[in-house]
Amino acid sequence: MFGKVLAVRTVRLIATLFAVSLLTFLLVEQLPGDPILAILPPGGLDDLENIERIRKELRLDDPVLTRYFRWVGNALQGDLGKSYITDQQVSDAIKDRIPVTMELALLATLIAAVLAIPIGALSAYREGGYFDRAMSAFTTAALSIPGFLAGIFFIWLFTLKFNWLPSTGWNRITDKGLLANLQTAILPAAALALAPLAVNARLIRADMIGTLKEDYILSAKAKGLRDRYILMRHALRPSSLTAITVFALQLGGLIGGTVVIETVFALPGLGTRLISGIYQRDVMMIQGITLFIATVYVVVNALVDLLYAALDPRIRRQ
Amino acid sequence: MRRLFHRFGTAFLAMPLVVKVAVLWLIFIVVAAIYSRLDRLFGQALPLQDPFYQPFLFGEARPVEGPSSAHYLGTDVLSRDNLARLLHGGWVSLIVAATVVSFGLVFGGFIGAFVGYTRGKVETVTMAALDVILAFPPLVLLLALVAVYKVRNLTMIALVFGVLGIPTYVRIARASTLGVAGREFVQAAEAIGTKRTTILFREIIPNIMPALFAYALINAGYVIVIEGTLSYLGLSVQIPEPTWGNMINEGRRDIRQTILPIFWPGLFLTTSVVSLNLVGDWLQQRVAVRSSAL
Repeated sequence: MFGKVLAVRTVRLIATLFAVSLLTFLLVEQLPGDPILAILPPGGLDDLENIERIRKELRLDDPVLTRYFRWVGNALQGDLGKSYITDQQVSDAIKDRIPVTMELALLATLIAAVLAIPIGALSAYREGGYFDRAMSAFTTAALSIPGFLAGIFFIWLFTLKFNWLPSTGWNRITDKGLLANLQTAILPAAALALAPLAVNARLIRADMIGTLKEDYILSAKAKGLRDRYILMRHALRPSSLTAITVFALQLGGLIGGTVVIETVFALPGLGTRLISGIYQRDVMMIQGITLFIATVYVVVNALVDLLYAALDPRIRRQ
Repeated sequence: MRRLFHRFGTAFLAMPLVVKVAVLWLIFIVVAAIYSRLDRLFGQALPLQDPFYQPFLFGEARPVEGPSSAHYLGTDVLSRDNLARLLHGGWVSLIVAATVVSFGLVFGGFIGAFVGYTRGKVETVTMAALDVILAFPPLVLLLALVAVYKVRNLTMIALVFGVLGIPTYVRIARASTLGVAGREFVQAAEAIGTKRTTILFREIIPNIMPALFAYALINAGYVIVIEGTLSYLGLSVQIPEPTWGNMINEGRRDIRQTILPIFWPGLFLTTSVVSLNLVGDWLQQRVAVRSSAL
C-alpha cells in the first residue's frame, strides 16, 4: 500500500525536477547580452579569432537542447559548470556557501518551534483572554512585517542603540567557535524566524483549543491534576505531531527566504552569491544556484508530503 | 452606482472596528498614491514637493532634517522630501498589487473556472504546467526572471508579477469551481439545456468570485511584501524613482545619520499589509459562513 504511494510520488518528483531544471535553463538562457562579452577583457572584441576559439571551447554554438542535456547530465554528476566571470566552479561556490544558509534556516526553524509551543499553548489555555489577544496581535504583525525590514529593525535596535551584537559579517564555527558564531547568526535567524513563528503559534493554538475540549482533559482535571501539568503533558502531546510536520515544511520555504536576510546582514551565504551573480550577469552561477535551491525546495516539500501520508492513513488513500 | 455605494456602506457598517480602521487606512493610502501621481501629471502644481529635488545643492536646506512645516516627514541624506518620496513609492506598490490582483481575478479566475468545469485532458495538462511554476520558491523564480530583463521600469515589473501571480488564482478558482459545479442550480441549468458557456459565465464564475476576491486581498499584501523585497535588493523599479523597498535600501546605508527614510516606508509597508490581511481574513470568514449556509 505505502510502497505504491512511494513509487507514484517518486515518479512525480522526478518529473517535477526535470521540468524545473528545464525552466531554469531556458529562463536564464534568455539573458540579454552574449556571455562572451563578460569573458573577454576590455578591447578584446576586435580579436575575432579569439572570440571564435572561446566559443568553440565553451561549445556555445550547440543547439539549446543539446546544451541543456549536457548541463543537466553534468549537474547529475555534481558538476554545475564554471562561472564565466570568476572562473570558479559553481558547485564549489555552493559547497562554500551552503553551511551559512543551512545554519540560518535550521536556527530559524528551531527558534520558531521553541517559542511557538508556549505561546500557542498559553493562548489556547485562556482562549480570548489578555494573553491570547496580545499574541493574536503579535502574530498578525509578525506575518505582515517583511523579513528584511525586521532584520534592519534588529540591526538598528541591537547594534546602533544597544551595541550588543555586530550588525554584519559572519564568524565560522570552525574558526572562532560556537559563541562567536551565534553572535553573528542570532539576529538574522530571529528575523527569519518571525513569520514561521507566527504560523506555528496560530497552528498550535487552534490545535490545542480542540484538544482541550476532549473528555480525557476533563477527567484529568477531575483527578485534580495541576493545569500546567495537563497543558504540557496531556494536551501538547497529541498536537505535537501536526506541529512537527509543519516545522519540516517551513524549512523548504526558509531556504528561499534566507536570500534577502543574508543580503541585509551581508552574510557569505548562498543567497548573497545568487544576488551578486545576478548583478554580474553570471549565467552559470544563476542557473546553478537557482537549480540547487529549487531542487532542495521541491525535495523537502515531497518528503513532507510523504511524511503526511505515512502519518495520516486518510491521505494515503487519495 | 448608488446601489453599489449602498451595498458598500452596509458591508462597512457590519465590520468590526479594527477592520473598519483597516479599510479606511487602505483607502487613504490609495488616494495618497494617486494624488502623488496627479501631482506629477500636472507639473507639480499640487502642494507636494518634488521627490527628486535636492534643495541642499542650492543652499536651500540641509540634508537630514527632522519633521518641520516645510517637510512634514523630514528629509533624507540628499535632503529630498520624505513625504513626497513615500507617496510616490506607494504608487509603485499600488500598481504592482493592482496588476497582480486584476490579472489573477480575470485570467486566473477564467482559466480556473474553465478547466474546473470542463475537466478532461486540458485540465490535467494545465494543472501540471502550473505545478512546475509553483514548485519554485516564489522569490527565487522571481529573481531569476527579473535577472533576465534589463528594463526594470514599473510596466515591466508589474507585468512579471502579474503573470507569475496567475497560477495560484487558477488553483483556487478551479477548487471552488469543483465545489460549485455539482450543486443543484448548475444541474438544473444543465437539465433545461442551457449552453455550457452560459453556465460558465452566469452560474459558475459569479459563485466563485467571493472566495477568489477574499484571497486577492491577502495576496495583494503578499505581493507588496515581495515587491518591497525585490526593490530592497535593487532589482525592481530602479532608483532614483522611489519605491518603499529602495527607500529602505538607501536608508539602510545612511542608517547612522537618520532612521526616518527607513521608518516611514517601513511603517506604510507593514500597516498596509496588516490592513489587507485583516480585511481579507474578515471577508474569508464571511464567505465561508455564507457558502456553508447554502
